[in-house]
Amino acid sequence: MEMFLMGLCLSMLGVAAAALAFGAATRGEPGRAEGEILAKAAEAHPLTVSMGTPRFFAAGTGLPPHQPVPLDVLLLQIERHVRLEQAAAESFINQPSSASLHSRTMSPLAH
Amino acid sequence: MTSGLPELLRGVAETDAAAILNLGSRVHLQSGAVLFSLGDDAETLFLVERGRVALTLPLQVGGRDEDVLVEERQPGETVGWSALIPPHRFTLKATALVETELLGLSRAALLDYFATRPEAGHAVTRNLAAVIGQRLQVFQAMWLREVQRVVDHRSA
Repeated sequence: MEMFLMGLCLSMLGVAAAALAFGAATRGEPGRAEGEILAKAAEAHPLTVSMGTPRFFAAGTGLPPHQPVPLDVLLLQIERHVRLEQAAAESFINQPSSASLHSRTMSPLAH
Repeated sequence: MTSGLPELLRGVAETDAAAILNLGSRVHLQSGAVLFSLGDDAETLFLVERGRVALTLPLQVGGRDEDVLVEERQPGETVGWSALIPPHRFTLKATALVETELLGLSRAALLDYFATRPEAGHAVTRNLAAVIGQRLQVFQAMWLREVQRVVDHRSA
């Protein structure tokens, strides 16, 4: 019985020591790796991009507010907006109702 | 052209439709070519036979005019009804989005034909009214949606 208890204590001590050693060995790794990834990302994309004002439960619109948008991107957004609005308007004409007239749009220009 | 008659000639007697199509002359546009510009005299109505035509309006973006898509026309559809509606000036710019073929019908030739065949003129006018009415309704709805957004924004 004594031998059994001694064995049990030794094995538990061994497990605890192994867990401590493993934790100490791996604790620093993510920080270093994360730092390297961020540094590489900063080199690849030197322009900083604002993430906009944090909002709860608000779906992102794709582009942060008040951020200068390249002209060609803006023109594409306008074209998409017009197409979506036309589709919504045609849907309203096919089935006129207040709900179909004011159906929500996916267009980022409308938000 | 798509199967069947173009939208402008729906309900027109077959012989009249064939005669009206014979009045036209083919217009071939490379991709990006301009069919007409905003403010041009509108002497000719066009039926799209092949390809696609973008109808655009200038929007001030960053202090300069940029053509913004308003509508797109496909085979079988009509472009340039301002040719039949006073003051006969195009109110949009039309540009071929891809290689495009159209049939151009001059106002003078059409009106001469309608003078001899009033039934054909009546049917074409009804079809034209449908095209114009559709645009009016679409833009009315689009305008109201924008107004609603302004109201929502102000009352938020």
